[in-house]
Amino acid sequence: MGPFFEVSRRQLLKRSAVGFGSLALSSMLADEAAANSVDIDPLAPKSPHLPARAKRVIFLFMKGGPSHLDTFDPKPLLERDDGKPLPFAKPRVQFAPTGNLLKSPWKFQQYGQSGAWVSDLFPHLSGCVDDLCFVHSMHGTNPAHGGAVLKIHTGSDSFVRPSIGSWVSYGLGTDNGNLPAFVTICPTLAHGGINNWGSAFLPAAYQGTPIGNASVPSDQAHVRYIHNPTSSRAVQRLELERLKAMNREHQASSGPEPSLEARINSFELAFRMQTAMPQVEDLSDESLATQQLYGLDDPINANFGRMCLMARRFAERGVRFIQVTHSDSKVQWDQHSDLKNGHEKNAREVDKPIAGLLKDLKSRGLLDDTLVWWGGEFGRTPTVEGSNGRDHNPEGFTMWLAGGGVKPGFHFGSTDDYGFYAAENKVHIHDLHATILHLLGLDHERLTYRHAGRDFRLTDVEGNVVHQLLS
Amino acid sequence: MRLIVWIGMIFVAGLASTKACHAESESTPEQVRFFETSIRPLLVDKCQKCHGAEKQWGMLRLDSRDAILRGGESGPAIIPGKSEESRLVQAIRHADDSLKMPPKEKLTESQIADVIRWIGMGAPFPAATENGKRAFRNPNHWAFQPVRSSPPPKTKDSRWSSVRWDQFVLKKLEVAEIPPTKSADPRKLIRRVTYDLTGLPPTPSEVAEFIDGARPDAFARLIDRLLASPAYGERWGRHWLDVARYADSNGLDENVAHGNAWRYRDYVVAAFNEDRPYTDFLTEQLAGDLLPADNDDQRCRLLTATGFLSLGPKVLAEVDETKMEMDIIDEQVDTVGRAVLGLTLGCARCHDHKFDPIETADYYGLAGIFKSTKTMEHFKKVARWHENFLPSNMARAQQAVHESQVVQQKAAIQALVERADAGVKSTLQAGEAVPEKLEDRYSDETKSQLKTLRDELAELEKTGPDLPTAMGVSEGTVVDVAIHIRGNPLKLGNVVPRRVPNVLTRQELAPVFEATRSGRLELARWLTDPENPLTSRVFVNRVWRWHFGKGLVRSVDNFGLQSENPSHPELLDSLARHFVDSGWSLKRLHRHLLESSTYRLDSQATSGRPDRDHENRLLGRFEIRRLEAEEVRDAMIAVGDGLDRRLGNSLLTVKNRAYFFDHTSKDLTDYSSQRRSIYLPVVRNNVYDVFQLLDFPDAAVPSGDRPTTTIAPQALLMMNSEFVMKCSAEFAATLLDKPSANDESRIQQAYLRAFGREPTIGEVNESLTFLKEIGRARSGTDGTNEVSREKSWQSLCHVIVSSNEFIYVK
Repeated sequence: MGPFFEVSRRQLLKRSAVGFGSLALSSMLADEAAANSVDIDPLAPKSPHLPARAKRVIFLFMKGGPSHLDTFDPKPLLERDDGKPLPFAKPRVQFAPTGNLLKSPWKFQQYGQSGAWVSDLFPHLSGCVDDLCFVHSMHGTNPAHGGAVLKIHTGSDSFVRPSIGSWVSYGLGTDNGNLPAFVTICPTLAHGGINNWGSAFLPAAYQGTPIGNASVPSDQAHVRYIHNPTSSRAVQRLELERLKAMNREHQASSGPEPSLEARINSFELAFRMQTAMPQVEDLSDESLATQQLYGLDDPINANFGRMCLMARRFAERGVRFIQVTHSDSKVQWDQHSDLKNGHEKNAREVDKPIAGLLKDLKSRGLLDDTLVWWGGEFGRTPTVEGSNGRDHNPEGFTMWLAGGGVKPGFHFGSTDDYGFYAAENKVHIHDLHATILHLLGLDHERLTYRHAGRDFRLTDVEGNVVHQLLS
Repeated sequence: MRLIVWIGMIFVAGLASTKACHAESESTPEQVRFFETSIRPLLVDKCQKCHGAEKQWGMLRLDSRDAILRGGESGPAIIPGKSEESRLVQAIRHADDSLKMPPKEKLTESQIADVIRWIGMGAPFPAATENGKRAFRNPNHWAFQPVRSSPPPKTKDSRWSSVRWDQFVLKKLEVAEIPPTKSADPRKLIRRVTYDLTGLPPTPSEVAEFIDGARPDAFARLIDRLLASPAYGERWGRHWLDVARYADSNGLDENVAHGNAWRYRDYVVAAFNEDRPYTDFLTEQLAGDLLPADNDDQRCRLLTATGFLSLGPKVLAEVDETKMEMDIIDEQVDTVGRAVLGLTLGCARCHDHKFDPIETADYYGLAGIFKSTKTMEHFKKVARWHENFLPSNMARAQQAVHESQVVQQKAAIQALVERADAGVKSTLQAGEAVPEKLEDRYSDETKSQLKTLRDELAELEKTGPDLPTAMGVSEGTVVDVAIHIRGNPLKLGNVVPRRVPNVLTRQELAPVFEATRSGRLELARWLTDPENPLTSRVFVNRVWRWHFGKGLVRSVDNFGLQSENPSHPELLDSLARHFVDSGWSLKRLHRHLLESSTYRLDSQATSGRPDRDHENRLLGRFEIRRLEAEEVRDAMIAVGDGLDRRLGNSLLTVKNRAYFFDHTSKDLTDYSSQRRSIYLPVVRNNVYDVFQLLDFPDAAVPSGDRPTTTIAPQALLMMNSEFVMKCSAEFAATLLDKPSANDESRIQQAYLRAFGREPTIGEVNESLTFLKEIGRARSGTDGTNEVSREKSWQSLCHVIVSSNEFIYVK
């Protein structure tokens, strides 16, 4: 091996001193027959394939499946034909049996310049509709929570595949070496659990870092092992110095081994992260006005509000993919019965914080290059389950995007007259994934990883970028 | 020079070595790649349903270059290089009303552009071609050929080799002019081989014995001792559990407990410790229920072994029951393929395998075997997997007690009814007809008594005794499966009789599948036939990987056309042949590998020479390796004397089929045990985070090659986790526990336990200084008071167990 190698290797090792995941040496060529290039610093910032419109994503995940028919997709015929049978066939496979049509318990009004229809569930968010880009013709494949949640996060409902946040981190790296590239705030452990932020066969550096989980209040949600319960900083510093000295001596007797060097650096980084992470989680330096904007002064909004505010703080520090999950200790938006009370409670918790996040991002100029993505794993049926609920419906539902290169105040696609099936300009979850990657400057067909003898993609063999959504 | 630096682009080099032919000229790798990613899938998805092997509308086939050039009723489909003149392009543009293809759904603009580009390139269409060449679907791929035996080559240095196969290694090094490095010193060697075979650090006395003994056969004796230790099965059984995608929970959507999976785990550990021949080991796992048993214990073992087929993750709330069943079968086909044959058979579920010569029909031939097998009790959501009853005298006694209870209860009811009936009859007036339902006339008290007895009976019959069962399979209704077109259970093609893939077997060796049996036993016999080219190669290569850190074929789970060629093909075959000839005995294989000069090399390259084989493909040195997750945890507990060495049984805190996490996200896992790591529950979706951070495999798919990543969260775990702090405290307490010792001897003891070596004088002094500094930082004193003294030692131990020397093996 010639001198070029020696030099580049040393340079690479030097580079490995920056960057959070840095050190993932990914077992030097051992994996997958060395088909993937060696990533000494897997999270170093990388240039996108295409000009990027968004630098980062905030995904506001409404677990359980909010009803499009009661939020953003009003159906006059549903109102008219309340109690009558659905005039066309239901899907071959349904999660639960449903009966006749059920009209929405809420009134809808038009808002903003764009005239978007929003139900009374979202008094705050209705003020932001001119920033939103609605996709009313979403459809997926799986009518059960487990499969559908995995599908939204990983593109697959039957195999363990990397999460979209992992793909994005893999494709773009991160600008802030002291923080993870992909964080997920209070994620749910059910229905796929860790697979929803896992890196699967991608190197571990790309996995999401969970901050608490859905059964932990957001003010108690922390990254694991970020605090030492017993040792002071001074003691820690001494220990790390001693560790470094021992590791250096060990290395001197081992010859050039990048993995040993990487591990030495990982401790330095971890020490820095101990400072950086709590700074993001500590909201006390936010002005009272900002805190109120997110509803932190209101016990109904405070929990989700803190999560949204934390998301903004991660966004401004260069974290690439930030997920915020709205789920209580049950399946929050899953109103098989008592739609009225359930959705009302859920909407009240998120309405103000989400509106606050959008306004805050906008006023700080962050909305221009931050893509906000809102939605659940599916919508709900126009037909009634029991007497006052709605079943899961992956056949047609609404999601919205905002900022980061999408058309503001825009509506795309539609469902049929009763809102059961996506009808016009259908957008599959794969298509949405392709579009999100496109906005980040990533070509979903080129963002591949060689594993088990083939190149894998987030969109598998599917997905078309929905160019109509792009501004 | 294989180190490819990643500079902002994702660069995939894998196909660069793939050659394929079209017409007279070779396609470039870029063209092949373009064809395989953009054109072949399009032809398969959009065209070949009507223009392929099954149907040839308009006499046209679009599944090979020749066929496309030949064309159909209206002439050639394309003219290479001239897309505008090609009928195919006119058809897909839908420009001409009489020729619109595909008829119902126009291709997207970008797909049309791809086809135009492809024809412009000259329409490269790679297919299986000449012998020996890497080509798509090449039936002559090396791994499908019989295992050959070639004598080891002559080497210049005739003294270096300890076993004959060393010569294969030395020869390549000599040709490359890279002399092998020196042998590892005995301290390194005992630490290396003890971790390797048992997953535990050698104790100071074991080290001393090995070094002082200095007998010529000391190393062979050491290997024998380690192979005889129960810890051997715990370590090597765990390797197989990676391949068997072992888990104590289902994962996926409904994360319910595999409450009896531990029985399979214990079966595996025992099989390794007993050195069960690999052929028997495989056969039991695929068809244990079909093998004869002499007694209950053997029957239980054989039934438990079939858990292998049942352990996969299942979408238990899949609403479409037909799909769920086919998904489960798919998981079984794919697992057997990857684990045993190193083939990704699952790829052939929806289309012929893109790279390997495995056709959809091959896949459904295998699927029929598992469709004829009972894996599930039912498919209604939440679906329920089948478990086999484990016979024993105890269980039969419990069963008998239960049955007699039922009989007694029924008798009691009968007696009461007869008494009451008689009572009612006695009150009848003369001539009054006996009422049809006497029960209506019972007294309220009798009615209530009767109800109580009947409720008790119902409860008794419903619950039954809690008899031991094991996840596993049994025979189902024997059927052959139809090809599912594009994997869709609603679109069925021809029925494929159960069979093994054509490419992997000669006609005369192909097993015969009978109408009365699922065929699992026949499948197992075929897999374990000495003539099967893959089974022995794949397993020997796995074992090599687990000893040496990388396989001779580095893609250990894939021996198909996308695999990497073996670095030492003759060596691989020689080892496979040796393995088969020595009765498929793994312990013999270990000795054969470990007693080599190659295994005993030092990990540092020869000093003074430029290291020209950075990847160590030529095996001129032993690669350092980081301990695996279980080793890290076990070693940390072991140095503080805390490891509980009891074997087997379950540590689950939730009942069989109960949820670890239901909708509440509450975590019901518990990892506080001091038992060895192999016994901690493996909960899919939420693997113990100490393991998860240290590259524990995804327990959803077979995996014979754990990666080693180094990420900052691992350092946080070392610095701050309760687990590491606790181990450090216990380690310190063990050292401080000896009142007669002085601090110097304590430091010496710490180094011996953690690193298997004595500290240098410098290291002792530095450690003493460190203790003082920590004492001052903690309490402003020099660490002489008792509390702060304890804390200082904890800090020292914390540093030692966090150090690279502790975590890496040379």
